[in-house]
Amino acid sequence: MMFTIIVFLSVIGVVAGLAFHRFWTTREETGATVLYAELFKKYAVWIALGARRSIRKASPKNWWQYIKALPLWHLPVLEKWLSIGFYGSFAYLAASGFLFAIFVPRGLYGFPLVGHVMAGGLFAACLAIIVIFKGRDFISVPKPVNLSLALLDPRKMGITAARVKLAAFWLFVLAGFLLALTALLPMMPLLRTAGQKFMFEFHRYSALASLVAAMVFVGLELFESDRP
Amino acid sequence: MSRAGRYALGALGLALAVLSLATAGSAASAVQDAKHTVWDGNRTTPAHLIPLRDENDEPIIPTETDPLPYSARFTCGPCHDYRTIQGGWHFGAMTATKSGRPGEPWIRLDPKTGTILPISYRKWPGTFEPGALGLTAWDFTALFGRHLPGGGPAEPSDEEVLAYPEARWNVSGRAEVNCLACHNRSGRQDPSEWAKQVLRENLRWAATAAGGVGEVGGIASRLKETWDVYDGPNLDDHEWAVVPFVKYRTSDFDSKHRYFFDLNYQPSDDRCLACHSVSPAGEAQWSAEADVHSTSGLKCADCHRNDLGHGIVRGYEGEAAETGNRTAGSFTCRGCHLGENEAGEKSVVPGRLGAPYPKHTGLPLVHFKRLACTVCHSGPKPKEGFTRVRTSRANRLGIYGVATWATDLPAVIEPVYAKDAGHKISPHRLVWPAFWAKMSGKEAVPLKPEDVEAAAGGIFKPEERIAQTLIALSQVMAEDEVPVLIAGKFVFAPNVDAGIDSAERPAAKADTPAFWGIRKGADVLPLVPEFDPAAADKDPAIEARFMEFLQALGTVAGAPGRPVIAVKKTLYQLVDGSLDMSEAPAELAESSGPGWLAEGKFLPLASDFDLRTVTAKAGTEQTLTEEQVALVLGALANLGKGSDFAYISGGRMFRLGKDGRLAAKSDAAAKPVTWPLAHNVRPAQQSLGWNGCTDCHSGGSDFFFTRLRGTGPLLTANVEKRSAASFMGLGGLFQRFFGLSFITRPLFKVVLAVCAFVIGSLVFVAGLLLLGRLAGFLEKRPEP
Repeated sequence: MMFTIIVFLSVIGVVAGLAFHRFWTTREETGATVLYAELFKKYAVWIALGARRSIRKASPKNWWQYIKALPLWHLPVLEKWLSIGFYGSFAYLAASGFLFAIFVPRGLYGFPLVGHVMAGGLFAACLAIIVIFKGRDFISVPKPVNLSLALLDPRKMGITAARVKLAAFWLFVLAGFLLALTALLPMMPLLRTAGQKFMFEFHRYSALASLVAAMVFVGLELFESDRP
Repeated sequence: MSRAGRYALGALGLALAVLSLATAGSAASAVQDAKHTVWDGNRTTPAHLIPLRDENDEPIIPTETDPLPYSARFTCGPCHDYRTIQGGWHFGAMTATKSGRPGEPWIRLDPKTGTILPISYRKWPGTFEPGALGLTAWDFTALFGRHLPGGGPAEPSDEEVLAYPEARWNVSGRAEVNCLACHNRSGRQDPSEWAKQVLRENLRWAATAAGGVGEVGGIASRLKETWDVYDGPNLDDHEWAVVPFVKYRTSDFDSKHRYFFDLNYQPSDDRCLACHSVSPAGEAQWSAEADVHSTSGLKCADCHRNDLGHGIVRGYEGEAAETGNRTAGSFTCRGCHLGENEAGEKSVVPGRLGAPYPKHTGLPLVHFKRLACTVCHSGPKPKEGFTRVRTSRANRLGIYGVATWATDLPAVIEPVYAKDAGHKISPHRLVWPAFWAKMSGKEAVPLKPEDVEAAAGGIFKPEERIAQTLIALSQVMAEDEVPVLIAGKFVFAPNVDAGIDSAERPAAKADTPAFWGIRKGADVLPLVPEFDPAAADKDPAIEARFMEFLQALGTVAGAPGRPVIAVKKTLYQLVDGSLDMSEAPAELAESSGPGWLAEGKFLPLASDFDLRTVTAKAGTEQTLTEEQVALVLGALANLGKGSDFAYISGGRMFRLGKDGRLAAKSDAAAKPVTWPLAHNVRPAQQSLGWNGCTDCHSGGSDFFFTRLRGTGPLLTANVEKRSAASFMGLGGLFQRFFGLSFITRPLFKVVLAVCAFVIGSLVFVAGLLLLGRLAGFLEKRPEP
């Protein structure tokens, strides 16, 4: 139950946060708004209108068009299949894992579980390759920091969308590592029941961390690509 | 003082006196109750040198004439409240409101009619309530008293006794709760003696005899129904209808007529196993394994405890909530070994009796959610075709004597993994029911075997008829001769139980014509040898022998005609006690050998139906053929006009079709009855999973994929077939696929490990890089 609540809060928080980032960055009226209540009201109206517009536009045909238009299909062959394997396996893992964890009291079982295990292997392999060949694109070069009270001031920490995206990438990789580890260790004759329980919980929360990181990364990526 | 005042004072004094007496009485009663129920803390069992009392609460003087048997109610009752004990698990089935997890039902077995009926007063799923089958407490006691510890149906209420006057409680007495059945430490305690006394209807004497307290003679079942225990011995009959009597073992009495009971507070395992033994069928005693708890020195009663109420802790999860006995929670597998209740809370006393804490290293959590502990740890390991076992109560084990009591039927199968009431998979024992039924709509209502037998006439009796003939012939055989019937590939000979035994003739063909013979050593000679009756030099001994045979066959009860022997065109028969040799009528000219002459027709000693039936069943444990079932269903239909009848066996329901043929189908009434098993618990190294996941998860594991064929008294190929996975409610296809996935699992683990290593290393390096940058270690620095 606790996990379900945390999942819902996390997902809602990330979606709201990303939407607010878009609202804050794109709407001119936000600069003139001083009161938080006024700002929240405008944000709520904006998000409601946006949601209604999105729902109206959503149809299988439009989704298909959207998928066909993804740049993924135009990548070189190895990269294309790597991306398909990576995105596909992650999508299945997240869908099967969270849907069963939240909506099915028995949890993940049967063929979906076998699929989950197989997709997990594919995901780990793809992630390892991506980190080897693409990880270098996500290494930032921060300036050396100096010891001062300014370190504690969020406004002076230099938090930008680009840096959040980088952090999301590495959080995703870290969560991927923990997911692989927490899937592997219970299969080995190492852990007793308490260890198994711990690994099970750790696997779930690692999955939640990877989902949140992926949402942040993709949300920021899509926002960037939408901007003129 | 005025008169009124004196009266008032007197009345007050009287009231006070009454009040003080009442208070003193209740205080004394409370003290006595406390004596009965509260343990003083001493851990020894007191010596039970106590006066015996009979069922009239009179003291027993062992040397007096015709003493009555001792009564537990009045001998043990003064210190151990009898009424409290009467409600215990072993005695309270008839009145229990809660019966908890299903246990082993009583199984009514009648091989002749092919009846295997699971019966229980406890209304467990798949069982029939005795009353619904027309069984009174008397019938129940007669059928199952052999393994009852007294009390319950063997000690019915006065209302029950009055309601069924045809029962013989007045003669037999009631079998009170037999305390000695469990608590007697003496090696004289004899369950076989108990069974013998119950069979003789010596119910009130059974505990005295079985406990070795005295020697009991006489047979109540031979007494008239009007006999009463106060009538005393039957002076006119010292041979047959002898009234039951007791000769007490006087050496165990002291001079004050007190008897020494050698008792245990906790019953020894032998006492429990007398009624609760389970062993693989056909296994040698020396190779049979015991429960790991027993071999570790624990007694059954160490875990299966009880207070004076005798509500034995059964030790299953959920029992504490069902019975309100919170202590029960710490005597489950989980309670003792993990210190957890069924919800997984650490709320019970762990490690009782030194229970080790299991490691369960590498065992995925789902196993704890979906499986009972007993799946991996109890019963025989799964194997192809399951394991057939025999249980004390179902197969009448543990009763020893000249006659063989133990039976192979019913076939009890284990371990069948099925979901229990808590939706956990647990190992079960299974029995396929078999019975004749009258259809009431879609419901099959069992018929009493006696009623079916009466309706069937001689259809069930081919073996009996052949046995009667062979036994009759054996009267005139020499010591080294045995009369036999040879039919098909089998030789049939009479046995001591007045039945027939069959033995296969290895070289014989199935279509060998039947003939009657005499076995002498290894040779079998024809009963009627080849000779010419008209020859002048014929052996006169042959005709003398014929006369003996005919005399013997004349004693066969219910024979269809007069015995005759046909040899070529000559017919031998007894006329006025002499052998008469006459020319056979023309229509008998083709006949030869012994037979019956009925209305001028020659009938063979055994009819084609009898021969067909016994040869079909020879060498099998089945007791009915499809032909017999069809005939009996026809006979039942003729008797109960307009009613529809069925026979259930092997998981199928058989009914007569409109064309008169037997048709089979699946039906809810034919479903097997199952009950969870808990013992024997195997050592950890023999548990499932010790050798890895593939103990169960492989493409063809016996755990999931062994197939169970319905078994029953009917000889037929038309039986229910089910896979082990189907009992678990699991898809066989998925389990096969999942099992096969374990072939690639080692490779999968390697791939996952390599990926995790690569990803982890790079994350670590990236983290180091970030730290180095932030700290300025990795900045280009000007040369000093």
